[in-house]
Amino acid sequence: MKRTTKIATVVAMTLPVALILSGCSGGDGGSGGGSGDDNTLTVWAWDPNFNIYAMQEAEKIYQQDHPDFTLDIVETPWDDLQTKLTTLAQSQEYGELPDIFLVQNNAFQKNVINYPDLFSEATDAADFSQFPQAVTDYSTVDAVNYGVPFDSGTAIGAYRTDVLAEAGYTVDDFTDITWSDFQTKAEDVLAKTGKPLLSGQAGSSDTIMMMLQSAGASLFDADGNPTISDNPALEKSIETYIDLVKSGVFTEVNSWDEYIGTFVNGAVAGTINGVWISGSLQTATDQSGEWAVTNLPKLDGVSGATNYSANGGSSWAISSNANVDLASDFLKSTFAGSTALYDTILPKAGAVANWIPAGDSDVYAQPVDFFGGQPIYADVVTFGASVPSNNTGVYYYEARDAVSAAITKIMGGADMASALDEAQSTVEFAMG
Amino acid sequence: MINKLRGVPAYLFLGIWTLFSLFPLYFMAVSATNTSQDVLASRLLPGGELFANIAKLLDAQNVGAAMTSSFLIAAGTTVLALIICSIAGYGFEVYHSKGKDVLMGVLLLAMMIPFAATMIPLFQVFAKLGLVNSLFAVIVPAISTPLLILLFRQSSRAFPTEILEAARVDGLSEFSIYARIYVPTMRATFAAAGVITFMTAWNNYLWPRVILIKNEVQTMPMLIVNLSAGYVTDYGVLMLAVLLASLPTVVVFLLLQRQFAEGITGAIK
Amino acid sequence: MDRRRNLTGWAFLLPASLLIVLISFVPMIQALLLSLQTGRGTRLNWADPLWYNYTRLLGDEIFKQTLFNTFVYLIIQVPIMLTLALILANLLNNPRLRWRAFWRTAIFLPCAVSLVAYSLVFRTMFATDGFVNDFLGMFGVAPVNWLGEPDTARAVLIIGLLWRWTGFNMIFFLAGLQNIDRSTIEAARMDGANAFQVFWRVTVPQLRPIILLTAIMSTNGTLQLFDESWALTRGGPAYASMSMSHYLYEVSFQRNPNFGYGAALSYVILILVAVLAFIQLRIGDKRDQ
Repeated sequence: MKRTTKIATVVAMTLPVALILSGCSGGDGGSGGGSGDDNTLTVWAWDPNFNIYAMQEAEKIYQQDHPDFTLDIVETPWDDLQTKLTTLAQSQEYGELPDIFLVQNNAFQKNVINYPDLFSEATDAADFSQFPQAVTDYSTVDAVNYGVPFDSGTAIGAYRTDVLAEAGYTVDDFTDITWSDFQTKAEDVLAKTGKPLLSGQAGSSDTIMMMLQSAGASLFDADGNPTISDNPALEKSIETYIDLVKSGVFTEVNSWDEYIGTFVNGAVAGTINGVWISGSLQTATDQSGEWAVTNLPKLDGVSGATNYSANGGSSWAISSNANVDLASDFLKSTFAGSTALYDTILPKAGAVANWIPAGDSDVYAQPVDFFGGQPIYADVVTFGASVPSNNTGVYYYEARDAVSAAITKIMGGADMASALDEAQSTVEFAMG
Repeated sequence: MINKLRGVPAYLFLGIWTLFSLFPLYFMAVSATNTSQDVLASRLLPGGELFANIAKLLDAQNVGAAMTSSFLIAAGTTVLALIICSIAGYGFEVYHSKGKDVLMGVLLLAMMIPFAATMIPLFQVFAKLGLVNSLFAVIVPAISTPLLILLFRQSSRAFPTEILEAARVDGLSEFSIYARIYVPTMRATFAAAGVITFMTAWNNYLWPRVILIKNEVQTMPMLIVNLSAGYVTDYGVLMLAVLLASLPTVVVFLLLQRQFAEGITGAIK
Repeated sequence: MDRRRNLTGWAFLLPASLLIVLISFVPMIQALLLSLQTGRGTRLNWADPLWYNYTRLLGDEIFKQTLFNTFVYLIIQVPIMLTLALILANLLNNPRLRWRAFWRTAIFLPCAVSLVAYSLVFRTMFATDGFVNDFLGMFGVAPVNWLGEPDTARAVLIIGLLWRWTGFNMIFFLAGLQNIDRSTIEAARMDGANAFQVFWRVTVPQLRPIILLTAIMSTNGTLQLFDESWALTRGGPAYASMSMSHYLYEVSFQRNPNFGYGAALSYVILILVAVLAFIQLRIGDKRDQ
């Protein structure tokens, strides 16, 4: 009897240890995400209908000249991809990195500067003069290119032509205008049709950030110091935004799903966002043919104001664990060198190229039925060339969140100058 | 008659709470049969899109692989956690001493630190062991939890000492008392612990996301988040995936819930 | 013999304790050391003074807001939830109740559902033109911007927590009720006690170990609350509903990673939970001699 007790106790004690040990040998030896052989690249990206689809098409194109080549694409949402990058960098387990990963443009500087060891230089992966400078700026640190731009995030104004017509307008009346023009006309549309022209998430500063970038302004100066206080372009953007909301032509909702719902269900007759929003617009199949795309209104009385901006967008990075030669050659032959690739992914995924030579292709000039036969992609490429650079700095997310908080307070009646001063000190605190 | 009237508030209360519990679930189930556009318009009636949504889901994601990984993780965690933690909980209470109370307090500290703070050192350990992409790396950190030990310790307080003494007089070894007498008596506690552990392991997200890198070892929660991470989300398909991901926990609950039913007597009464 | 038995007892604790030391305490010590360092990314140095990150927290307005939010959740939600769970478990434990399996399953179901879906459904229900406002509108209540105002956003989060976790706690109580000798309840009935008296004087005292467990568990869960804040309200509007753990995650992973500061924040959470758990143990863990 005593013996069994002992045996049982020993078993109970050693069981977990044995488990860990057996797990140890059961693992795959930690060969990691990076490619084990010479013909495979591992890729992290997040949207099967968009960037993952584009990667798969790029794989096919590269395979024409390199029949043994394969991609191993791992689907990881951006928030989690960021968490993984941070974890790998912080634990210095660079061996688990893939060869190529996709990075949000706004987060590129932050990652390269905080974790330079995650990246390889992408210098050989593209002829960067063939991309708009505003786009390559996102992934350039100290004059070194770390990313090959993928989707552009060029901002568009998309409106329901049938609703505009009901109020006696055409889309031309919303082209090359200022925000005060927009305000007048949108109020008229609202009065005549009952439909607001814009919507967005309350507490999100996306719209204001687009306004800001359209004037070439940002939340940081060239040295990376926050410029949230005493920033005339920012103040004008916020004033404009508040006027839009207060007059009812901009409907604030509380979540992304609701935002999509506003125009998909026809409650709101337009939207302003990165061109990737066209994918969500087109899920409203019953509204096919009733949409048109144009540029953005520009800020009144702000120097450098334009009708062009951007929101979102992402670039491919080559990791420090990569087969750099293969990854560079692959990117150079596809995303930075293949018209055929962009011709394929444009109609199916709505992925608008940053690569300027792709814009000359006939495919871009094809009319899109959903947008009443307008060749919107050719138009978007034209817009893209005029988008001012955006100085995201390393602390872009902190600054954007602080401004969002300030806007919420200002909407609630707080004084603008003091709310922005508070946001400024929040960002300075985060940087300290 | 009086008895019947006395039951009315009870049924009313249960009815209201059940309605509150079930309404969001009803909305989910209905949404799985609707188009994305209808879901966003909060349509409350079943639609005819179920099969289309199933086709889209199977086309977009490897549901079978994710279900398998999730199941292996949840089942493995549950079995091991029940063994390890019940033994410990039993030890804490049956062999109660001041020193063990102190140890319990110290162990409880382990659950009080947010996981985000210990994740990176933990990742380092598992990476060094070559366990990245191994299901073991997900199971091992989850099998010994202070909470579960505390649950068994607290529940063991009702375990009658007379039985213990009687068994010892009969010459049963200490471990046999645990295995042959304690375990069957504590069926309700084991059932509760099993349901809770299975559910927690099944829904665990952050750690599996970080340690399981390859596509082949994705879990259901990862699959669901993938579905909502793109520029365009199909909400009907998303709800269908959620429904599928919720089923196993419900099945486990249904299988074990008889143990909560009144009137089941343990091995000894 | 006693000594021997005592040793056997320790042997029972060994596997679990060993695992907890390896999986939790070793990383916790590393986190403690980290909390005494400053710097971005992987370039870390010892802080000067060593407790710099902790003093920094005192000047952090966002941290103070998240601390306040978390305590609002703790003070309002935990007592309501545990009381409800206890009442529900007690009702369901009555052998004369009909359709018990149905009630039990229905009340448990919410915690089986993945967070993504539940947050989506709740956001839809509490949208400005959602069901809740439609429902209240029938009684002439003006539409409320639930997720857009600080107080109502916190309220929605609390309702979400109640929905998801009440059934979870009920399971513990149901299991605990199984361990109670039914004859003590019958005896009290015989003595003429009404249902409430039986519940309060007979059931609750016997359930005390389990009530203590759920109280510690809920306190811990609420102070480390992450899921609901992250997925349901995204911490908004303007940090008004963000929990401490959500802020910790932002500081460590989503923003410019500041792990020293994040680690200090985790230790503040640890200390808060530990103090509250200690108080609860002192009050609730008395043994009836």
